[in-house]
Amino acid sequence: MTVAAPRRNQWRLVRELFDDVPWSRTSFAMSVLCSVLASFSAVALMGIAGWLINRAAEQPPVMHLTAATVLVRACGLGRGAFRYVERLFSHDLALRLQSVLRLRTYDALAHTTLLSRRRGDLLVRIVSDVEAIMDVVVRVLLPFASAGIVVMATTIIIATMSVPIAAGLFLSALAAGVAVPLLARTASRAADRALIPTRGELAGIVAEINDAATDLAAYEDTSRIRALQEVDEQLRRAEERAAAVRGFAAAAQVVAAGVAVLWSLGFGIAQVEAGTLSRVELAVVVLTPLALHEVLTTLTQAAQTGTRAAAALDRVGQILDAPPLGQGDAVAGSPSEDPGISVTDASIGWSPDEPVRTGVDVHVAPGEWVALTGPSGCGKTTLAATIMGLIPSLGGHVEVRGTVGYLAQDAHVFNTSIRENVQIGDRDATDDQILDALSRAGLATPAGVLDRIVGEEGSMLSGGEARRLAIARLLVGGRQTWILDEPTEHLDTETAAALLNDLRELTADAPVLVITHDPAVMQIASRQIALDATPAGE
Amino acid sequence: MPGPIDPRLWSRASATKTYMVAGVAVGTVTSVVLVAQAWLLAKLISTAFHLQGLPGDLNAVLPGSENAAYPLGGLAPSLGALGGIIAIRAVLMWFNSWLAHRSAARVKSQLRTDIIAARLASPHDATLTTGQLVQVVTKGLDNLDGYFGRYLPQLALAITVPAVVGTAILVTDWESTLVVILTLPLIPLFMILIGLATQAKMDRSWRTQSRLGNHFNDLVVGLPTLQAFGRAAAQRKGLKINEGNHRAQTMSTLRVSFLSGGVLELVATYSVALVAVPIGLQLAFGHMDLMTGLFVLILVPEVYLPVRQVGVHYHDSVDGITAAEEAFAAIDAGSHPASQTDPADPSPANPSPAGIIFDAVTVGYSENTVLDRHSENTVLDRHSENTVLDEFCEHIAPGEVVALVGPSGCGKSTALHVLMGFLTPASGTVHAGGMSLGDPRWRRQFAWVGQTPGMINGTVADNVRLGDPDASDDALQNALLRAGAGDMALGHHVGDGGEGLSAGERRRVAIARALLRVDAGSDWMILDEPTAGLDADTEASVIETLRGSGTGVLVVTHRPAVMEAADRVITMERAEDRMSEVAR
Repeated sequence: MTVAAPRRNQWRLVRELFDDVPWSRTSFAMSVLCSVLASFSAVALMGIAGWLINRAAEQPPVMHLTAATVLVRACGLGRGAFRYVERLFSHDLALRLQSVLRLRTYDALAHTTLLSRRRGDLLVRIVSDVEAIMDVVVRVLLPFASAGIVVMATTIIIATMSVPIAAGLFLSALAAGVAVPLLARTASRAADRALIPTRGELAGIVAEINDAATDLAAYEDTSRIRALQEVDEQLRRAEERAAAVRGFAAAAQVVAAGVAVLWSLGFGIAQVEAGTLSRVELAVVVLTPLALHEVLTTLTQAAQTGTRAAAALDRVGQILDAPPLGQGDAVAGSPSEDPGISVTDASIGWSPDEPVRTGVDVHVAPGEWVALTGPSGCGKTTLAATIMGLIPSLGGHVEVRGTVGYLAQDAHVFNTSIRENVQIGDRDATDDQILDALSRAGLATPAGVLDRIVGEEGSMLSGGEARRLAIARLLVGGRQTWILDEPTEHLDTETAAALLNDLRELTADAPVLVITHDPAVMQIASRQIALDATPAGE
Repeated sequence: MPGPIDPRLWSRASATKTYMVAGVAVGTVTSVVLVAQAWLLAKLISTAFHLQGLPGDLNAVLPGSENAAYPLGGLAPSLGALGGIIAIRAVLMWFNSWLAHRSAARVKSQLRTDIIAARLASPHDATLTTGQLVQVVTKGLDNLDGYFGRYLPQLALAITVPAVVGTAILVTDWESTLVVILTLPLIPLFMILIGLATQAKMDRSWRTQSRLGNHFNDLVVGLPTLQAFGRAAAQRKGLKINEGNHRAQTMSTLRVSFLSGGVLELVATYSVALVAVPIGLQLAFGHMDLMTGLFVLILVPEVYLPVRQVGVHYHDSVDGITAAEEAFAAIDAGSHPASQTDPADPSPANPSPAGIIFDAVTVGYSENTVLDRHSENTVLDRHSENTVLDEFCEHIAPGEVVALVGPSGCGKSTALHVLMGFLTPASGTVHAGGMSLGDPRWRRQFAWVGQTPGMINGTVADNVRLGDPDASDDALQNALLRAGAGDMALGHHVGDGGEGLSAGERRRVAIARALLRVDAGSDWMILDEPTAGLDADTEASVIETLRGSGTGVLVVTHRPAVMEAADRVITMERAEDRMSEVAR
């Protein structure tokens, strides 16, 4: 068992990020200030305009209205201007925090060995999880902080005219700005949780249909479409419950605003009758709640965003706190006259307490293709990682002579030029060396090919091309000993056959360990080492 | 700014049109209720104002005696009415959100079914990976929630509310209406002007910005690869520099793009001030009564609110349109129906002899069926997969066992895909059993075994039964036995992507499936490399099974044993080889 590190609370993570970014708290304070001024302009505009109109109805000398007219105009301008500045401040801060979090996450991930198939999804998810820090600042902390201050300020100003009205306003704001968002969050969390299995089911059916598309079409199957429609119907009903929650929250906020207005009117009229409230101020205490509650409507969304962002940051925190596995980067190794792999009675695994296998013997000599087979989870990739020095061996003897190259089945094609993609193998490689490697890997090398940008996730390349680009990396680095991980996976028979043929020629004199379950690969291997299912606990 | 509604989306939204019309109706009712609320508020405030009376004229408005008889100066009924109005607004609010959900849900279900149907209509053309397809069908479509749920209703409100509320203001005070009429169009006008002025800059920086922004994603997803080459830690320095550039670039874009939002708020809010100040002056000079002034003041922000909200929900519209475009891309990728005959012109009763006839079938695929990004493949790949079937002619007699052989890329598999209707030929015709390709009964003639047979989740029995949904367990067992898998249990579990079965077992299940189909009346077995990767003994038993099935067989293969067993071997050449021969 790995020792569970103390869990990092997501808010502690946010605090740490604030500590890491210079002037972050000042920046945040400025954002809040601008946001408060923007919202308060809107509230004050209604209040002052109400005062202006009621006062004007008393037909005082126009001079007495000048101050109010200036203020009304200022508030009219203030809202747009302050909002603009606030957005710039808050986004700049959020981007700074995101940069720091990205670097931290990268450091944590780069120093733990990621060579394992199940990691792929995790990496994609972490990338989007890191973005949650932007939401936390811009869409959660800022609106709540700013709304809180605006509510306080408004309550205090109204209290100078009428304490009971101010108290009612404050309570209604608590209901619309705190109680409703929190209740809606709790309710929608339950509804969202109910959605998860149904969504999983939908994803499962879609994946199934996609994988078996030709056969389903050839046999004119309709059962899968029907299954899809059934799940879709379930999903629709579950989403309807979630939508009902949002609808109730919005309606509840309308009611809270309405109650505040009624309360102000009821008390206000009574107080005007009693002479304890001036009739000019009546318009102020009645119109202000309308504008104030408009500020609060965004908070339901903010609370829900907060839940999602907190969960995302929690996952990021787990990555940051996880004790590193292995050492991250592979050891390059130094060239040798007699390259080869000698693994004798080795124990391999990701954690010293939990060896995946013990007593592993693998020897590969130059010119040999040794096929490593066995069911998934039996330790094939773990062995590859151990040989590459990505994780230490847990016992026995592991010796690798010469430089080791690893051809992954899903080698990543970076969103950059072909040149830089090949230079992963050797960053000092010249253009001639790269062109030579590409051509030996079986790729065409028309003029300007090195500067061609290969798209996101290598989408400009076919599966066969991507694998050949990965081979070019190994060639340019002059790797002597090769580990091939499922080299024919996901390729059609013809492409796979051509690739295998070329690989065999390229590695004629090299020691090659090939992890595979493809019979075609096993057939051309010189030897086969079959690992059985993991002997757990031995 | 993209157009508000994609016509393709609109045509699919037919099921939701009722909801959307209802949405506009609710919006109109909401604006009438808002006018009523403003009127009540104005009345209450102005009456209360006059309760205190003007100096020296205390009892002019309401005599004291009457006043004492009613609590709150006789205003309780109006307060009650206001409460009622608020209740109605809350109900309308809830109803509106329910309607919005319903319309989004309908469109999402429709698109989901369409995408999957398109995927099955063009099954061999996997433009999207499984992950991408799942993403488009689940999270991608969820972005339509905001579009249908918030953006479109808001768009409707932006038209109905200013119209209704504007009329109410016009009736009361035409001067204020003038301000509204002059300022309201300024909002879209400014948005368009700023949009035009910033478009060039945005376009320029957008590419850089998204490239910089994706660098982190690219590095993280590629970390296992970097680590295998010992280059992960070394990339940190570059990442840090990139992050700085990304932030600078993003902020310079944001400074411009927030401008439109800022101007929008400015115009909307300042317009309220523009209306309020003249009202105040008119009141001061006694040219207007208080209730009118208050009524207009309360209503004016309501005119601008929905227009402003359209801006607030602008992102919902962008996300929604992006999601819809992804969905349509997925649908269009699959919408190459395999029909060469005009549906109005059904195939003649029996014009051609039985058997399979390929007549001058040409397939040129990169432009036709694959998205254009794939057309660049040929630049790099010597072993190009963009094969072209060029004027392919062949006649295969009923019951004949034919092996289709040839070098890599000669179009063998393409010929099978055309025959199965997975691919539409650019020209030429295909007939089989007296039918033209595209006939509704077409596929029933064939029993298919692909290169990597697809498996559905469930049991071995479920998978074999695809060949004939009505088959009995005994028939299934018998088919498995003939396919060389007699020892396989019908109830054996098959998981995601055929998990639980080895590659060889999967192929045997697929063959059993095809045999069952033959039992149910198919005339042909169509197989693509059925023995690749099988040992000689297994291969022999598969061949025996095929010969023993008694139907016609068309098999793509490169295995000598299979060729030997065939009645006839058709050797195909790569299109470009043929071309060069002609040139010589």
